[in-house]
Amino acid sequence: MTSHGSPAFDPAATSAAHDAALEIRDLRVRFTTPTRTIHAVNGVDLDVAPGEVFALVGESGSGKSVSMLSVMGLVESPPAEVTGSITFGGRQLLGLPRREMNAIRGRDIGMVFQDPMSSLNPVHRVGRQIMEAIRLHEAVSKDEARKRAIDLLDRVGIPSASRRVDDYPHEFSGGMRQRVMIAIALACNPSLLIADEPTTALDVTIQRQIVTLVKDLQRDLGMSVIWITHDLGVVAEIADRVAVMYGGRIMERGTARAVYEDATHPYTTGLLHSIPRTDNALTEWLPEIPGTPDQITEEPTACPFHARCPLTEHDCTSGVPVLEVAGPDGHESACLHHTSVGDGDMLWPIQDREIPDPVLPSDDPVIEIEGLKVHFPIHRHGAKRGAAVRAVDGIDLTIRDATTLGVVGESGCGKSTLGRTLVGLVEPTEGRVLVHGEPLDSSSGPHRRVVQMIFQDPFSSMNPGMRVADIVAEPMRIHGIGTPEDRLSRVRDLLASVGISPDVAERYPHEFSGGQRQRIAIARALAADPDVIVCDEPVSALDVSVQAQIVNLLRETQMATGISLIFIAHDLAVVRHISHEIAVMYLGQVVERAPRDAIYDEPLHPYTKALLAAVPAPSPTAERSTAPTLEGDLPDPSDPPSGCRFHTRCPVAVEGLCDTDVPELRIVDDLRWVSCHLVESTIEITPPSPEPVGSGT
Amino acid sequence: MRRIGLKNLDRYLLVFVVAVSLNFLLPRLMPGNPLALIAGVDVGLMTPDERAEIITAVGLDEPLLTQFIDYWKAVLTFDLGFSYKSGRPIVEMITERLPWTLLITVGSLMVSAVIGIVLGGWSAWRRGKKTDLSMLTGMISLQSLPSFWLGMLLISVFAVQLGWFPSFGAETPASSYEGMARVGDILEHAILPIVTLTVLSIPGVYMTMRYSMLEVLGSDFIRTARAKGASERRVLFGHVARNAIAPVVTFLAIRFAFAFGGSVIIETVFSYPGLGRLIFEAVSGRDYPVMQAAFLVFTVAVIVANLVADLLYPVLDPRMRVE
Repeated sequence: MTSHGSPAFDPAATSAAHDAALEIRDLRVRFTTPTRTIHAVNGVDLDVAPGEVFALVGESGSGKSVSMLSVMGLVESPPAEVTGSITFGGRQLLGLPRREMNAIRGRDIGMVFQDPMSSLNPVHRVGRQIMEAIRLHEAVSKDEARKRAIDLLDRVGIPSASRRVDDYPHEFSGGMRQRVMIAIALACNPSLLIADEPTTALDVTIQRQIVTLVKDLQRDLGMSVIWITHDLGVVAEIADRVAVMYGGRIMERGTARAVYEDATHPYTTGLLHSIPRTDNALTEWLPEIPGTPDQITEEPTACPFHARCPLTEHDCTSGVPVLEVAGPDGHESACLHHTSVGDGDMLWPIQDREIPDPVLPSDDPVIEIEGLKVHFPIHRHGAKRGAAVRAVDGIDLTIRDATTLGVVGESGCGKSTLGRTLVGLVEPTEGRVLVHGEPLDSSSGPHRRVVQMIFQDPFSSMNPGMRVADIVAEPMRIHGIGTPEDRLSRVRDLLASVGISPDVAERYPHEFSGGQRQRIAIARALAADPDVIVCDEPVSALDVSVQAQIVNLLRETQMATGISLIFIAHDLAVVRHISHEIAVMYLGQVVERAPRDAIYDEPLHPYTKALLAAVPAPSPTAERSTAPTLEGDLPDPSDPPSGCRFHTRCPVAVEGLCDTDVPELRIVDDLRWVSCHLVESTIEITPPSPEPVGSGT
Repeated sequence: MRRIGLKNLDRYLLVFVVAVSLNFLLPRLMPGNPLALIAGVDVGLMTPDERAEIITAVGLDEPLLTQFIDYWKAVLTFDLGFSYKSGRPIVEMITERLPWTLLITVGSLMVSAVIGIVLGGWSAWRRGKKTDLSMLTGMISLQSLPSFWLGMLLISVFAVQLGWFPSFGAETPASSYEGMARVGDILEHAILPIVTLTVLSIPGVYMTMRYSMLEVLGSDFIRTARAKGASERRVLFGHVARNAIAPVVTFLAIRFAFAFGGSVIIETVFSYPGLGRLIFEAVSGRDYPVMQAAFLVFTVAVIVANLVADLLYPVLDPRMRVE
């Protein structure tokens, strides 16, 4: 452990350091494995003021989580080696004896983690887990601790806290478990809360609830918050200051407003331009950041972003650039050429793609879904006879030639089951699926060629023991397409068309990055020469800087081949960019179906409105939707509410109508289908949708 | 708790019925005359009349279904017939032998559970360090020891050379020990067989515990516990231990069945008058009725061990409880 003085190159930080709650200087973290050394954090300087909300933004592998785990002393060493200086409240944390560090953790610094499903001990009641956090640091009686645990649960918004205090974690929903995690982190009134991607595993509606909760708690308790995220949108609303990390270093830092609206680093502008948003004008293509983020295995000697940066010059590789003042209010950028960044439109132009003879969308149906129901019987003991999870519960949809149908909804709404049924992986309980007018047969055979699938996780969806060439050729082999020589040349063509060099066809999947693997998955789906591809969350497992590449590739493929896509995703912004038509699902049913612009410009169903309102915009000054946020969780899909299934969470539900009568999915105006009793009246009460915040055109 | 028992009871009942029925079929499915299986090798020396008499006596002339029903009646009324060799009631022989086998198997299981869990936990806690690696190597070597060889080694060292423990039997023959003196005598005789069985089952418990604990140590809620400021000791006993022990319980149930079967060799080596020894005697004397009855007892023991594990699981893990 080395303790550095205030670095000379950062005068702004030195003056702020006196009253900083947390002060990090030249933090470096290396992980040494038998085969290589990974440089996860490469010299991070950071100050967080008391009562400040500080956002640390970066892709996976950028070093943001490791930096903050180092503050908590939770990076295991060995294999890690942590150097630099971390002072908290004037005290050096690095190298602190274990006992003293234990006294700080939980009492002065609380931490909330990403996955609320696995972050609570499954065998202890939640009350006990909160009481433990209190009694580790304060000499209070069990009764007193229990009282405080109930107060805390109440404070983080758990209904009937005094009853639920004795429940086990598995009896709570994901959002509720994250509230319990927050209660644990806040048990001793810490002066700093570190939240590590606390909403990433949650639905957008629940994310909204958690963000609001943390914002309120921060205001009431006056603590500092460090919010770690890969999603620029989440923190725009609540962060005072933002630091953007890449390759284990801070690329840019400043007030939220400065970073979002006046970004001075090519990486920040690249992210802001390339991520799909719901608050800007639509463009045919998304600007792309080329390449993929690499793991750093050698002592860095250059700007970590230089290989992907359009501004790269010789000097970018001659040393590691440090943060320099780039604007007022302590706005800093680690780009040598930050004065040339501008608003980023020049750096990240929309590149039009020439597609000879593009296939235009038509009205011919490819897939027709009629009254589809998929129920999964519950065999658990004590379940009612005939009880079933009604994953899909009566859906009629048509997918047209060369178009994309976006399917959105919270997790548990049945959208993935719908996708799997269309490929024939799940047998319908009732109703039918027609492909080109023929009923879908879920037995294996050549008829399965027509509908192919791309999965969420490109790693686990490929046999790790097969070469890429064989993976892509397999659908052709199964369906007996071409001779082995034909197939080989077709594999090369397919790989080239998805942007993978055919020369690497003999490699194995683990040699490729996530984005490249997803390209290979697209090539594999295309190999069968299908008419429809079901894409189940195809970009949500990818790094944010890579998502635009895949979205563009799917669009391009569609225009070149006339394929139809069913794009299932929880991210409404991505869906907006690729879909012609959108179906919004709730508890196994479609509640609204309309052409893309109609849905995003003027949602009619209260659920669609709430979903869209919950999407965070990556801009601190964006007009926040006035629509009320959605309360509570998705009801039990094996016992859906009576009447309109949404009435239990609906802000405008009318008693005696919505809770008793089932609304029918009916045509409201041209091409729009909505299942809501009140749709006519909600059209009236909706204020005109705010002008989209222009950017990107 | 009671609800859990009932929930699985139907499944266990089914397993019991199938296993006991198989036990009925087994001698009848073996090649050769079932009479030879029931009456032993002497069948060749019998006159036809004698044969007919035996066939009628054991009911082999009845239809298979009637035989099957009679068999079930016998099982359910604990009327397991008579030994062909000694002519004694089999139930009596088994009730005489069973406690000895239970003593050494349950005894060794408990000792090996404690030692295996402690060592496995310790090893995982020190993962990758010298303690862990040397313990792991030692356990793998132990696992490859043949049971009869270990038994004979212990006899030759502790019974023959050092003379600390008796080398055979469950009690000193013709002694008239009473009370504590008798308990001491029994323990003295049981120690070497228990040690042998224990040494053989420790590696399995150790491996299961070590693996299970490594998995728990890597889980997110352990990080949460550390983030709360819990000391390493608290993390270990408050959060890791209970989560890690659940899979070990399942392993112990399987191990119990294994030890029960393994007792054939151990009891033979130590001339220990348990069920395993009874089987050995029955096999060498071709006493098929006794063998069949002993198998039945094994079956029931295995089912009961699994039932106990199933009942323990929800106690350790609330997610297994039926709401």
